[in-house]
Amino acid sequence: MPEVAAAEEAAGEQHRRAASPPRPQRAGRARRTRRRLEPLAWLAPATILIAVVVIWPIVALVQTSMQNITPIGVTIGSAGARNFTKLFHDPNLPGILARTVLWVVAVVGITMLISLGLAQLFNQRFPGRRITRWALIAPWAASVMMTALIFRWMLQPDNGAINIFLHQLGIVHQFNSNESSWLGRPDSAMAWMIGVAVFVSLPFTTYTLLAGLQTIPGELFEAARVDGASRWRSYRSITLPLLRPAFVVAVVINVMNVFNSFPIIWEMTRGGPGYATNTTTVFMYNLKQSYIGEAAAMSVVNFGLIIVIVLIYLRVNNWNRQDAR
Amino acid sequence: MRQRLTLAAAIGSAALIALAGCGSSTNSSSSSGSTTLVFFGADYGTGPANSTTKYWDAIASAFHKANPGITVTVQTVNWTDFPNKVQTLVQNKQFPDILEGDTAPQFAQSQLLYKDSAVLSPSVLANMMPTFLKDGQYQGTDYGIPFTTSTRALYYNKKIFAAAGISSPPQTWAQLQSDAAAIKAKGYIGYGMPLGSEEAQAEALLWFLGNGGGYVNSGGNYTINSAQNVQALQFMSRLAKAGDTQPSPGTTDRKDVWAQFAQGRIGMVLGSPAVIPIIQAAGVLKPSDYSTANVPGHRAPLASTLGVHDDIVAFNTGGHQAAIKKFLDFVYQDKYQLQFDNEYDLLPATQSAAAAMAKNSMFAAFLKNIPQSVNYPSKTSWTTVENQIKTTLGQAITGNPQTILNAIQQTAAKGG
Repeated sequence: MPEVAAAEEAAGEQHRRAASPPRPQRAGRARRTRRRLEPLAWLAPATILIAVVVIWPIVALVQTSMQNITPIGVTIGSAGARNFTKLFHDPNLPGILARTVLWVVAVVGITMLISLGLAQLFNQRFPGRRITRWALIAPWAASVMMTALIFRWMLQPDNGAINIFLHQLGIVHQFNSNESSWLGRPDSAMAWMIGVAVFVSLPFTTYTLLAGLQTIPGELFEAARVDGASRWRSYRSITLPLLRPAFVVAVVINVMNVFNSFPIIWEMTRGGPGYATNTTTVFMYNLKQSYIGEAAAMSVVNFGLIIVIVLIYLRVNNWNRQDAR
Repeated sequence: MRQRLTLAAAIGSAALIALAGCGSSTNSSSSSGSTTLVFFGADYGTGPANSTTKYWDAIASAFHKANPGITVTVQTVNWTDFPNKVQTLVQNKQFPDILEGDTAPQFAQSQLLYKDSAVLSPSVLANMMPTFLKDGQYQGTDYGIPFTTSTRALYYNKKIFAAAGISSPPQTWAQLQSDAAAIKAKGYIGYGMPLGSEEAQAEALLWFLGNGGGYVNSGGNYTINSAQNVQALQFMSRLAKAGDTQPSPGTTDRKDVWAQFAQGRIGMVLGSPAVIPIIQAAGVLKPSDYSTANVPGHRAPLASTLGVHDDIVAFNTGGHQAAIKKFLDFVYQDKYQLQFDNEYDLLPATQSAAAAMAKNSMFAAFLKNIPQSVNYPSKTSWTTVENQIKTTLGQAITGNPQTILNAIQQTAAKGG
């Protein structure tokens, strides 16, 4: 390709040197130029799309993070790195970062564990399998915000469905009390929100793992059985290793989803009491109400964290591919 | 030929994408004698059926009939998204000509506004209730035009009171506590205390006022961590810990306790006239089942309660001063003020409309509190301070009130 370009370049040079090139030659040159530019025309839509939808917002975000903006939205001038220093000196930030890690690790960890079991179950033949497989889609199909809202109502301290159920079981002794106010206490609120996040993450994860399970040839298990391997042994030595590509994909996509998850926490606690149930994503939104620049700085930090996760993913993906060779 | 076609197709689709990417400019245009005013307001309705867009559209079309040269385009956004949307509009310099819902000082500080006297006729301006007018001042000039107002009172459920053997509404904190305990013993929630992020600043101020405290002193300086305020929060905390309130006041929103009061589950809440439509919609309490009283204070009921007002501000960015003035004079007719307040159970901002409304006994109690009402500080830093109060004050119930108020005072002293 470079040689062709060089040849064309040389041809162009010749034309330019000629005092008055004859007409047909000029037409040929124009055609060549057009041919040279043609790939650009093909690339343009995608390039423009990426520039407008992906790159421009990032540029605007970084710009905003370095501006001094009043709470009503008037830009006063440059803030340099002040938004970042203010953010990093925020006394709430360390707790929020730690909670974000806990949130991601807990939600993804529990989701993966349960999904491994569910995928195994759905991979068996049993009557009604089709219906149960369909049923599993429900939490995925429903809007996350609606799911979170419904859980908040069910946890209502006065007469929420979950509280009534727990009352009948004798776990909650009194309505309208601290013990029935699950979302009012930061610890129990986090636990319930992690539960809801797991609930909505299960369908995708289970289906990804189920797809992975279905690619494992049955002969392998037969051979293992002939060799006298126990079920647990063949699960550990055949299923898990061969499931790894699907597992890694599910983990990485879940990590990004859960890290960016906003509606569950926002609808159930608004990050409260205080900042006690904020993750970095929710905190960014909370900051925005008064400190737009600082919120943009938080966004930049979030963006950086996502990039790190993606890089880890690419690494692991590479490792997968090498392994497959 | 085919090459040329594909080239054209590629360029065409690229152009389309580029168009889609930047197809959102809403600048008002004025050409050949016709002016378009952009109105942006808060939506006070609960859904499409009673959206405030309808109210403004009706005014806009009546106005257009009277003034064919001026068209007003209306957009409203629900209160939850309103601050965000205004931030975005300002940040992108897509200023409306008229904004309803926000307070004026910050916009005035950024020199974006016409002053009141530039966009209202003297007679209309003189008709405004003075309490609220002076609240929209920036450096001594009026910039905010009060549009709708409300005051707060104590709502109490008479049926629950009777069941708990309480004969009259509480006047002091001690009475409120013993009444709440008596109500709780009957299986209801005694007192609904919303210190969640929706409106913690209102509930807290009503308690602060009851102890001689508040957000600012008479000199207009922030006194958020005053001893009176700390004491008030300590009392509220004791009330909550004794179980005389709903659980977790720090995360309960106003709408939740209002809804529970309407369901007949709570004995007492502080509220504006806006509680009434919620009670009516729930259909549990009859008008004879509840009543209102002055807000209880530490030793005596509040002499001056909280008054809240939403303002109209006129932006000078579009340069439509004359048209805005015509429109606002038209808007502030009594019939439109009363129509709004009947629709949303709020109070008017003009003296003549208030006089007309005082005939309605339901509103009379709220109206008579207006002249001596206390408003939120009219300082440019208030928005920031208010946001911090909304987010953090609720923690004072379980945490240390002094620490939390100190942190808010620190933000306030810095000027936001």
